[in-house]
Amino acid sequence: MNLKRTKLLVEPPATATSDIAFILIVFFLICASVEPDKGRAQVLPRSEPEKEKDKQSQTIEVELTRTAVILNGNPLTAERFARAIALKLADKTRDEDKIVAVKSRKEVPYSHWMQVTGIIEDAGGVITLQIEEEQTVIVQ
Amino acid sequence: MIVKRRQMDATIPAMAMGDIAFLLLIFFVILARARDDSHLQWKPAPGQELTRPQTMNASVVIDKYNVTYLNGREIPAVILGEALKRILGENPAGRRTVMFKVHHEVTAVYFEPVIEAISEAGGELHHILKEEKKTQ
Repeated sequence: MNLKRTKLLVEPPATATSDIAFILIVFFLICASVEPDKGRAQVLPRSEPEKEKDKQSQTIEVELTRTAVILNGNPLTAERFARAIALKLADKTRDEDKIVAVKSRKEVPYSHWMQVTGIIEDAGGVITLQIEEEQTVIVQ
Repeated sequence: MIVKRRQMDATIPAMAMGDIAFLLLIFFVILARARDDSHLQWKPAPGQELTRPQTMNASVVIDKYNVTYLNGREIPAVILGEALKRILGENPAGRRTVMFKVHHEVTAVYFEPVIEAISEAGGELHHILKEEKKTQ
């Protein structure tokens, strides 16, 4: 007696490919959205010409070095600076009096700059940048 | 004479589904990279009480090699302000957000002129940072 051999399925299950592809789409989209997108907003007034300097003689000046903070000439640690700037800004009522001029040395890293400006903003200060302008003078 | 109607095969060609899905995949990946700066190497600085910006109108990155990018494309810092002005146009306040991503070790000589350019262009700065847990 001859038994009939059942026909085996040799074709791969094609319906599964669409499922695999959709899972890949979801995977790529999730990977793309992992990038950090949280942070801190910062309001910086537009740069002013030098003539405005006289009006703001009471501006608090903060100088940043690579690791330290200098407030009106006194080097401070981050904790002491937070207390000192909060004290200085506590009695200021007008927005223009709350301006803090931040001057950074060239070697100041971004993380240190963000830490100090964060402290100033938390204390209610308004940050302005003091950047030295470079001028090229052609001597004939 | 009765002609027998041929039975039609009405199955959906399932093989094509895979092709369609792969085309969609390629489409999404290309679309995602058009405005993407994920290929740039930078590590965010730490920060606390971080918020997500409501809008995102431009992205400025300074990577670990101190190179500045606007929306994923390299740009010299001196022309950044003008390029940003063109992108932001006459957008009202609240729709001028510039995501600012700076490698944590980049020094002031590189990031301060960029901040100044963003400010000059009327951009609303949003520094992108990494959440740091508060120490008790």
